[in-house]
Amino acid sequence: MDTTTVSAKRTTSFWALTFVGGMFGTGLLLFTDFVRPPWGMAIMILPMLLLIPMVRASERMRSATGCASPALTRYNRRMLAASFAYVVGFLIAVALFKEQAVSKPAAALLSLLPTLPALGMIWAMTRYVIEESDEYLRARTVNAALTATGLLLAIATFWGFLTTFDVAPHVPAWAAVPVWAAGLGVGQLVEKVRGA
Amino acid sequence: MKNRLKVLRAERDWSQGDLAERLQVSRQSVNAIETGKYAPSLPLAFRIADLFGLPIEDIFVRDG
Repeated sequence: MDTTTVSAKRTTSFWALTFVGGMFGTGLLLFTDFVRPPWGMAIMILPMLLLIPMVRASERMRSATGCASPALTRYNRRMLAASFAYVVGFLIAVALFKEQAVSKPAAALLSLLPTLPALGMIWAMTRYVIEESDEYLRARTVNAALTATGLLLAIATFWGFLTTFDVAPHVPAWAAVPVWAAGLGVGQLVEKVRGA
Repeated sequence: MKNRLKVLRAERDWSQGDLAERLQVSRQSVNAIETGKYAPSLPLAFRIADLFGLPIEDIFVRDG
């Protein structure tokens, strides 16, 4: 492995760890009531910004490891835009709902704020599978998405029964998107370890 | 699936990157196919066969 590849991998790992640390840190701040929801949740946008250098570093790493793909670059940019829109939409929708007396039709419209970006994520994934001309890279992504879907179904089923039996607290159905995204990360790691 | 890609490549003094460029795929794809971790689709297998000027069965070997 040449020095460029090693350096690109280190930079990507650094930004990935910084992002995870940032998300965990802001989550902790919210959990400990250091910042107050709903508007205090806006602090979560800060670690989201770390996704930009992380995606750029991963693109450099892909180029160095011979895994670059224009379709993948487009997918990353679309996913990044959708993720930002999701977090911002989520924060605005939750904050407005908690602070204002909104009518049911208005609440239904508010729920579209984070939902539309989530649909954007699904669209980005669909476009990637269509646009990727490298069948191996496409297969890896599809496998990772299947792993994510399997994990989500398993977690949702198990959690559903835990809730039914009053063992665990209720979790809103919109948690499916972040859980699936985390599962996609796990799936990509599995593909990397398998090397297939 | 076993294959003779590495040998065929070496005979032509091509790196994995060279072969990837000729096939218009990523170097990782070539590596995965070469090491038998990924079985290419029939269209890609035909492209590989055309590139080396050999029938598919002279490049890819049946398992077992």
